[in-house]
Amino acid sequence: MAGQGMERREVLRVMALAAAASQFPGFRRWAFACDHLADGALQPRPAQYTPQFFNPHEYASLERLTELILPSDGSPGANEAGVSEFVDFMVWSDPSLQYRFRYGLAWLDAHASNLHGKAFLDSGADQQTSILEHLAYKDRYRQGEEDGRAFFSLAREYTLMGFYTSKVGLEQLDFPGFKFYAESPGCPHGGDPEHLHLPRPKY
Amino acid sequence: MPKTVYDVIVIGTGAGGGMAIKTLCEAGLKVCALNSGRRINPARDFRNHRMPYEMKYRGFGDPRKRAQSYGYMDNEYVGEGIWEHGITYTTAPGTEWMWPRCHAVGGKTNFWGRSSARFGDIDFRAATLDGYDVDWPMTYEEIAPYYSRVEKMIGVASTVQNRPSNPDGEYLPPMKLRCLDHILQRGAEKVGAPYLPDRIAQLTRSHNDHPACHFCGNCTDGCDTGSFFSTPWFLLPLAEKTGNLELRTNAVVRSILVDENGRAKGAAYIDRDTRQEVEIYGRAVVVAASCVESARIMLNSKSRFWPAGIANSSGQLGRNLCDHMYGDIGHGYLPQLLGQPSFPDNVSDSTIAWMPRWQNLKNPREEKFIRGYSIYPGGGCGEFPWFQHHLEGFGSELKRNIKRYYPTPVGATIQAPSLRSDTNYVDIDPEVKDIYGIPVVRVHFQWDSNTLQMWEHAKQVWAEVLRASGGELWGAAEHSEPPGYSLHETGTCRMGNDLRKFVTNRFGQTHDVPNLYVCDASVFLCCTDKTTTISILAFTLRTCEYMIENFRHGSHG
Repeated sequence: MAGQGMERREVLRVMALAAAASQFPGFRRWAFACDHLADGALQPRPAQYTPQFFNPHEYASLERLTELILPSDGSPGANEAGVSEFVDFMVWSDPSLQYRFRYGLAWLDAHASNLHGKAFLDSGADQQTSILEHLAYKDRYRQGEEDGRAFFSLAREYTLMGFYTSKVGLEQLDFPGFKFYAESPGCPHGGDPEHLHLPRPKY
Repeated sequence: MPKTVYDVIVIGTGAGGGMAIKTLCEAGLKVCALNSGRRINPARDFRNHRMPYEMKYRGFGDPRKRAQSYGYMDNEYVGEGIWEHGITYTTAPGTEWMWPRCHAVGGKTNFWGRSSARFGDIDFRAATLDGYDVDWPMTYEEIAPYYSRVEKMIGVASTVQNRPSNPDGEYLPPMKLRCLDHILQRGAEKVGAPYLPDRIAQLTRSHNDHPACHFCGNCTDGCDTGSFFSTPWFLLPLAEKTGNLELRTNAVVRSILVDENGRAKGAAYIDRDTRQEVEIYGRAVVVAASCVESARIMLNSKSRFWPAGIANSSGQLGRNLCDHMYGDIGHGYLPQLLGQPSFPDNVSDSTIAWMPRWQNLKNPREEKFIRGYSIYPGGGCGEFPWFQHHLEGFGSELKRNIKRYYPTPVGATIQAPSLRSDTNYVDIDPEVKDIYGIPVVRVHFQWDSNTLQMWEHAKQVWAEVLRASGGELWGAAEHSEPPGYSLHETGTCRMGNDLRKFVTNRFGQTHDVPNLYVCDASVFLCCTDKTTTISILAFTLRTCEYMIENFRHGSHG
């Protein structure tokens, strides 16, 4: 995967730059993006989605993976937000991602098969979670799973991108932007400038 | 058919061009303005509160086109034909230069950051104070009334701050500080750095028939209500009302034409639609195409009178390029706000507060560097939880953590001026022409050690501010953004009294060609620690009134 590592670093660099840029006054856009192709963006979601890039098995595995990353646990998760559709669309639109997703999903299957004798999708929920824990938490990392970790990180990135740009994701954040305020809103905690006596955390 | 001769040809419609058009038309002069791209309708062509899920690529843009994007403002939220992608430029070996050009009418005023601090004598007399470079050819007292008029015209929200580096102006009520600002302000106090409401050209109440801001936070994608200054919302309608303006769009200027005496007589441009070259004529010409593009046009305007480019007998045209260093000097979070409900933090694209220059004020050589920089902090509940990179894991725990951290992230960018240098300049690439056959500009630029010292200093101070605020630092960029990124380039047509050393006089009129004026940041001697737009407006107003006087005296036929 010599080339892949390079490419991944580049993507991360771009994303990190963009992430930092989001903090700059005037420079809110966190993603590097370009020409606007808005029309057709608000297509109604078909009852049965037909993946454009992934084959049926890959797509089902991807769907499961996004659900594990952002589960429906009393509040909406990846499933309600249609994240796997977004990821499929982005991977289909971006040739530089295609091999990495295809290879990554195959890696997960091979890995699950080694450990549990079954493809990732067919493994039990506990087995799936356990596989991901070793890819997601630094103190659980295992040698030889570098490719898996790289893929998990990529899949997590795109899952979060899909979720937190969706209607349900932004509602979950209670994103306060693009609303109309009669006056400059400002801090509601008068008399506590250091914010040491705030109400108990709500979340 | 007798050829039309306008009073003034104005090249460019950004801050400088816009102010020139308005001022000259209102004085009764017949103006033809040239803009290299199309005209936009600001009420219709911008993002208009569309959410990410209303975009095909959710705001990430078409991945296949991402490599051509200039980043941030050049995005999926603004339409086609707004950012310049057709005309190339080159860089000298070792130069990294990012040059986003908005070629829609109004230029970068459509999307600017809106911070609007006045330059002061600390800037104009910097050379006297620290011995580096030369003073500006005018004093603050001379330009102050123009700043006041511009502030009243466009509306700037701020407070009187009595800072030695920042003259106060005439302000609308300030934007209110957010939770994160109050916390950081306390931290900055402990460190001994100022943390104040920014000077922001954003209408905190309705002003000159422009509606008050509704604080949606959409600003950087263009305002659909005209609640911050831009040429299309503020100046163009006034100019058009006079009946004295003809605006030609998709007109890419090749060169300024000269008469048999070497004076400016008009401009030659390529019509983007027909690809035909067109000549138009005027009694005077205003170049306001932005610092680097203005230099390119003038350098490309060669004739037997001006073999090195028009008005370039000093050899200084295109030289002395300066820019603001921008970059992430540190990002982290404020644990005080963990788990709190979301706050309306993103009400003006995060431009609420600033840390105006506090270095080298008592003694110009107090620090390891000369001059000074400003910091723009930001953060809070944004459009995307970018801080997720700092939270590991997955599942319900990750979801909850993202929600918990959502109000907490903070970050800051430095705004640090480069120093004038002989090695930072633009010239014409001898080998490369653009798609219209016009030789392209070549940029030579490196950050100097003074600016790099500021970068390190700012990182340290900001980390201290964050710590003193009770915050945690996640990290900072290793390197600043590339030069060009800030869009604050200055210096290619510097003003000065000595015609052997400066391109224009102190009014922005070129020394060599008395009916050629420069109305953009290229006349500034350096970029200071302040943003350039309000100064472009103030200096242009002064230049144009001087020009109108010259018309009255008959100097321009």
